Amino acid sequence: MLNQLTSYLNSNQTPGQAGNMLWVLIYILVVFGGVSLFVMVMNWVERKALAHFQIRLGPMRVGPHGLLQPIADALKLFTKEDVMPEGADKAIFWSAPVWVVLTGFTTLIVVPFGMTHAVTDMNIGILYMLGISSLGVLGIIMAGWSSNSHYPLLGSLRSSAQMVSYEVAMGLAIVSAIVMTSFTGLGMYGAGTTPGVGTLSMIEIVKAQQAQHVWFVFKFFPLGFMAFGIFAVAMVAETNRAPFDLPEAESELVAGFHTEYSGLRWSLFMLAEYAGMVAVSSIATTLWLGGWLRPFPNLLPGSTWDLAFSFVPGLTILFVAAVTIRQALKMPQHPALRANKIGMLGLGLFIAFLGLVLFIPGVRVRVGDIFWFCLKVGFFIYLYIWYRATFPRYRFDQLMKVGWKVLLPLALGVLIVTGVVGLTPELTAWVKGLFA
Amino acid sequence: MTTNRVNTDDWGDRGTTVLDANELVLNMGPQHPSTHGVLRVILKLDGEKINGTECVIGYLHRGVEKIGENRTYTQFAPYTDRMDYVAAVSNGMGYCEAVEKLLNVEAPPRAQYIRVIMAELQRIASHQVWLGTHALDIGAMTPLFYTFRDREEILKIFEKYCGARLTTHAFRIGGCQYETYEGFEKEVLKFCDFVEPKIGEYEALLTTNRIWVERTKGIGILNGADCKALGVTGPVLRASGVKWDLRKAQPYEAYAKFDFEIPVGDHGDTYDRYLVRIREMYQSLRIIRQAVEGLPEGPIMAKVPKIIKPPVGEIYHSIEAPKGELGYFLVSDGSTQPYRTRIRPPSFVNLQALDKMVRGMLMADVVAVIGTLDIVLGEVDR
Amino acid sequence: MTLPKIARKFLLLDLLKGLSVTFRYQAPKEIYTEQYPLERPEIAERYRGLPRLNVNPETGETLCIACDLCAKACPEHLIVVESERDPATKRKVLTNYTYDVSRCMFCGLCEEACSTDALELTQDYEIAQFEREGLVLDRARLERGPEPTVYTR
Repeated sequence: MLNQLTSYLNSNQTPGQAGNMLWVLIYILVVFGGVSLFVMVMNWVERKALAHFQIRLGPMRVGPHGLLQPIADALKLFTKEDVMPEGADKAIFWSAPVWVVLTGFTTLIVVPFGMTHAVTDMNIGILYMLGISSLGVLGIIMAGWSSNSHYPLLGSLRSSAQMVSYEVAMGLAIVSAIVMTSFTGLGMYGAGTTPGVGTLSMIEIVKAQQAQHVWFVFKFFPLGFMAFGIFAVAMVAETNRAPFDLPEAESELVAGFHTEYSGLRWSLFMLAEYAGMVAVSSIATTLWLGGWLRPFPNLLPGSTWDLAFSFVPGLTILFVAAVTIRQALKMPQHPALRANKIGMLGLGLFIAFLGLVLFIPGVRVRVGDIFWFCLKVGFFIYLYIWYRATFPRYRFDQLMKVGWKVLLPLALGVLIVTGVVGLTPELTAWVKGLFA
Repeated sequence: MTTNRVNTDDWGDRGTTVLDANELVLNMGPQHPSTHGVLRVILKLDGEKINGTECVIGYLHRGVEKIGENRTYTQFAPYTDRMDYVAAVSNGMGYCEAVEKLLNVEAPPRAQYIRVIMAELQRIASHQVWLGTHALDIGAMTPLFYTFRDREEILKIFEKYCGARLTTHAFRIGGCQYETYEGFEKEVLKFCDFVEPKIGEYEALLTTNRIWVERTKGIGILNGADCKALGVTGPVLRASGVKWDLRKAQPYEAYAKFDFEIPVGDHGDTYDRYLVRIREMYQSLRIIRQAVEGLPEGPIMAKVPKIIKPPVGEIYHSIEAPKGELGYFLVSDGSTQPYRTRIRPPSFVNLQALDKMVRGMLMADVVAVIGTLDIVLGEVDR
Repeated sequence: MTLPKIARKFLLLDLLKGLSVTFRYQAPKEIYTEQYPLERPEIAERYRGLPRLNVNPETGETLCIACDLCAKACPEHLIVVESERDPATKRKVLTNYTYDVSRCMFCGLCEEACSTDALELTQDYEIAQFEREGLVLDRARLERGPEPTVYTR
């Protein structure tokens, strides 16, 4: 077993490709555990960020600056009474949240955190992710149906209709990014394709961006940007978040598919929703924002710039530690707050320690990719929270109108134009040949 | 696992609702986050379209009019604050003016100017509450916090002036009890300069926002003729194209001395009502600035006897409260206590228009329409 | 710059305007929350809070002359003024004064009616009690005045 452990360390493949089952297991635990932990952190970040947008503070009492609030919420949900409505289909009622969580987390095994840092790299990676997240819709319908009440049923039908319609636009936007992977020209406007070269594999898509010296969001500006924009809107609608969150809005009559769920079962739905947010954000990052690539890989090339950028993760973590320690020291001197102050100082020192660890040369080289990927995914999560704070809600028919009548034609148009533009050298040669 | 059964046999609805295969009866019960108080709306739905509504009110009835018959005129004034608790100053002003008309006295000019300043500040505060809650119903969470933060400044001014933020009891019969405090004019002008860009921010968040426009344009249309037939007043009436504002049509207090405009809408939909109220806030700022600059010196209380015994008679006096025409009908029988205090609340009359506005709309629009009518259940039920 | 309407719609400028407004408010100096009970709000001087019976600071005698005007002015009739006539000076002397805060509207009519400086509504707003009886204030409690709670947790 030790041989299995060490033999992988110098490979340049993901554990799944290398066939190293021990490391596959380790990666699965790290990814799933990390995402679950991240969901808790995201809960705290959402409450605090939303509060700051609304000029208030958010949770402050449970732990210093509300840092223990997610734990308190989780404990509360676990100890709640498990209510099942009378007449509910017990088996389906039980299995709906399980299904949603299962599909939500299974999509994460192809998410590339680095060149070799994915659980596995399927050659149909992106198709796999889309397929599994479509299966998640079944869980929502199961939840609504098994609740034996017409409000959850209506809510789940609406939710699933919304998710299905925005998947079409999402898929077309993804296809236009995949079309770009087969281009051979370098730079923002380099065209020309090699037939049969495009790829669906997530790691290969990022490698294609690296090879073409441009992030796909800037490729053939504004085409890549438009595809990115369409995906950004569709992904918000896909995960049932504001401004497309009518099915789960509190001020509407129908409270959504998870009305009858309480306690642990409801928390599983929330877990799946946040994991879905992470999944679609990682698709957006991988396809358009260059995945794990550091910023300006071609504008500022060379090993010295590489070295300079490799210090950024450590510096960022140290900055976070500094902010934590400063906030801890700024706390008012009150006997009740002493425990909070000590806890926060401890946390700050721990984060500083982590930051210093990131300066060790061996760690620095390996962690850079993961850091940039997580930063970009974090940017998308921040966008989610920002949208929720700012925009009113679409009514359901307006929501469907946007999905079918606005995004779909736009995505189709972008796809066609991307294809044509990419083929420009071949097309011009063919036209010249016609007139030769 | 125990099963709780609920007996639903006595949940019936006055025989007006028949559970038809095509028609669903939905109860938007008294406890609901969007009904602005305890209002029960029974909707008859055909799929998602609304065929009819029925409002059931009375959950906040406190018998204010009956209380009025057992209190003296001075003692009744604090009760008027609690009707439209969002705009307490206007309520008090209407009542004091009605009694002053019965007594045939007029408040001195300085008191009138102070009353106008406070009433216009209260109008801005009431519209801010309306804007925050209406935006929240439609899904935009943040304007609520912004408007409430700005309203805090108004409430601080009220607290410094009369001692309470919400149930102000600011005025007395015959004038004002409290003299303006040290630095009142400066603070009010500073507030005006503070809040003007903030109203611009609310507009930046909502007015051109495509989601907001789609949710509010063409929703809840009420034309001018229907408004007049139903007796609807206030911004709802003005947004339907009828230029009627009691401050200009039947000027009371010192309003005749100020120069301001009445914003009027064209289509009578929710978006127009939103625009009318935003513009009213700007016009209120205009009035406040003029009033503060022209604040005359002098007494603040007219010569009113300690024990108020109006001559036998009756009077109806109405003012332009932020929500519409607030009217007081007082019947005096010569004693210290009124014989009848009848209050015409604007929200009560405006609520009748709900049925007409909501026919044919989708379920999600009911919430928007209730919000745009700007009802306060304290006023509707009294 | 005024772009044509279709360009504005396409570039989502209206949505970006809204986003910029909310973004600006994240700065810590815009946060408006008061962390009660560590930070108490500033109360105006004229605030109508819990009542108090004032006492002459030199002699320690009550300033109330038991004229009963406050009880007559109260719309809720919750003040009870008990007095007896002093045979020597032929004036009324206050014996007991009961004020029922549970029904009080804090309208201030009693404070206005008081002919001396005795009855005053203070700036105390922390009135909550654990029992209903704690809200009926007697003369001793009224003369002690506001007793703000100091929170240790």
